Amino acid sequence: MKKILIALIVAASSALPAAAGDIHGKVTCKGSSTCADTVVYVAAIPGKTFPAPAAHAKMNQLNMKFVPRILPVLEGTTVDFLNSDAVLHNVFTPDACADKFNLGTWPKGETKTYTFKKECAAALLCKVHPEMEAYVVAVPTPYYAQAKADGSYQIADVPDGSYTLKVWHPRLKGKEKPVKVAGATEADFEIAR
Amino acid sequence: MERNHRRILVALPLGMAIFLALGAPRQAGAVPVFSRKYQTSCQTCHAIFPKLNPFGEAFRLNGYRMPMETPELVKQPPVSLGSEAYERIWPAMVYPSDLPSFVPLAINVKMADIYASSHDDSGKTITHNDFQFPQEANLFSAGTLGSHFSFFGEVTYAERPDGGTDVEIEHARLDLDSAFGPEHLFNFKIGKFAPDLYDGFQEMWLMTDNGVDSLFAFSPIGIHGGTGLSEEGPGVSLPDRMRAIEMYGVAAHRFFYTIGYGSPIGPGGPNDTFGSSSRKDVYARMDYKFGGMGLDGDTTGVTLPPENWREHSLRIGVLGYYGDGSQADPFDITDEEGNAFKMRDTHYGRIGAYASLYVGDLNLFGVALHGTDKLQLSDPDTLTEISTTTRTYDAWFAQADYVIVPPFQLSLRYENLRVADPVTPTIKTLNANASFLIRANIKAMIEYNRDLRDSENYTLATVLRFAY
Ligand SMILES: [Cu+2]
Repeated sequence: MKKILIALIVAASSALPAAAGDIHGKVTCKGSSTCADTVVYVAAIPGKTFPAPAAHAKMNQLNMKFVPRILPVLEGTTVDFLNSDAVLHNVFTPDACADKFNLGTWPKGETKTYTFKKECAAALLCKVHPEMEAYVVAVPTPYYAQAKADGSYQIADVPDGSYTLKVWHPRLKGKEKPVKVAGATEADFEIAR
Repeated sequence: MERNHRRILVALPLGMAIFLALGAPRQAGAVPVFSRKYQTSCQTCHAIFPKLNPFGEAFRLNGYRMPMETPELVKQPPVSLGSEAYERIWPAMVYPSDLPSFVPLAINVKMADIYASSHDDSGKTITHNDFQFPQEANLFSAGTLGSHFSFFGEVTYAERPDGGTDVEIEHARLDLDSAFGPEHLFNFKIGKFAPDLYDGFQEMWLMTDNGVDSLFAFSPIGIHGGTGLSEEGPGVSLPDRMRAIEMYGVAAHRFFYTIGYGSPIGPGGPNDTFGSSSRKDVYARMDYKFGGMGLDGDTTGVTLPPENWREHSLRIGVLGYYGDGSQADPFDITDEEGNAFKMRDTHYGRIGAYASLYVGDLNLFGVALHGTDKLQLSDPDTLTEISTTTRTYDAWFAQADYVIVPPFQLSLRYENLRVADPVTPTIKTLNANASFLIRANIKAMIEYNRDLRDSENYTLATVLRFAY
């Protein structure tokens, strides 16, 4: 009985990560009616790497728009670009951190992929339709979140510790912030042009 | 005789230069109506407006619809004029339709500084430099009405350098798209429009400011056959626009045909009265496109580059035009001695070949046209026939359009027109254009047009156009 109890305690404690909390807060976006394009993430943690996820992230081209418009992923993630329209689309990026890739054009139902190897906020564009725009935001840790339209965000399950918290927006800029996570932690940002 | 012909030779370049500099306002073709409707860029359809890229051509031939359009592609949802389900109970109820949710209007404004050099009556070189700010404004309307109808309209307001103004309905037409049978095969247009006979080489599909005047502004009528360019003349080689009914379509993605029936090109053509002849003209064209995007936008089996102005393709075809002017009102004409006559172009025919080659950034295209006019000379009072002479002319042009990078494009065109009057020298023109898209909808151009028969005879136009 005692053995079972010990086993249960051990099992339970190993299932639980080291003490963790969340980082939450609000981003104030000056000069934008919505904060929905904002990504908040924990910057690279010295001495710690995260394995690239096996699952692919997905970016659709539907009704001549990229869906979603903002796609935050962990470094090393492969993104599938699917064309769902009857017209040809192209995907390329002018950003060097994503090798300025150009995947060509491809018809409906087909997918092309690109692996984002390093930290990068890559603008995705389509040469066929210059108005099309999206961003893949590849970040160095799995601790990231996209803000809601009102600017509120929540990054769940961040192990306790001291980190640098960064904020990204396609047009607005804000300062990074040191945070000390111990349970639920609050961090607010203000970003502006 | 000799002296009179010399007079013609002197007067002709002057007339042509004035015509090029001051006459013939060129209509525009950029229709931001569709940019709004689909919330997409001009570059989706235009290499440099108004020149269409292969997709823009497909969009136009699809009755201004996207290939396999779904309602979600239309970002300005239309106003329903009846549920689709009413289609099933027709004619118990009116067949459903819809209309654009916003009044589908778009505007083009064109400013031009025209520097023109030409000879006056004494042979002295005179120059003009005219700030035509603005030269013209075009009001467009275009869109779809329900599943099978579309419309296109354009009203041009032009300010003439002499202080006058011109207002013209350049286009007003209703299309019935894919009326029956396989998709894209049977479409109809009715109204005033640029016939699809010129698909690919009329003003609206060119990036240059000057149109192909050797084809569209040559008057083949004269006492010894036509001598030069004039839109005021009693007839034209080919009409810019017609009041007509046209059937056109695309078969197997790559074959294009059109046949039309419309008001004659003599007096009574679309820019004159509603017609003084009981006869109508007919025209037809067919061509085939090898490689590149299908004429209906089909891309199965082809790999296209991401740059949507590029492809590797060849489109070749033939075209013909025929009219019977034997019932038309005769017009006044005088010979070299000033004697008055009446003349009719009783039968006129045009036959030509068209080719357009795309090699990446380069589009090479041209037309060769042979024209025949049966000119009947008659007594001005009794209208008794004096003589009937068949006159012929040959016109051809070759043009190269090149995309250096999308905002910078070049165009070079050579036109050659052997006129019908045997003593008048062949008209040879060079037209060079450098275009710069300042923004997607603001364009600046420098265009040089030179009469190759006379070095003092040229125009240099600096043009600014914007569309919204
Ligand atoms: Cu696209």
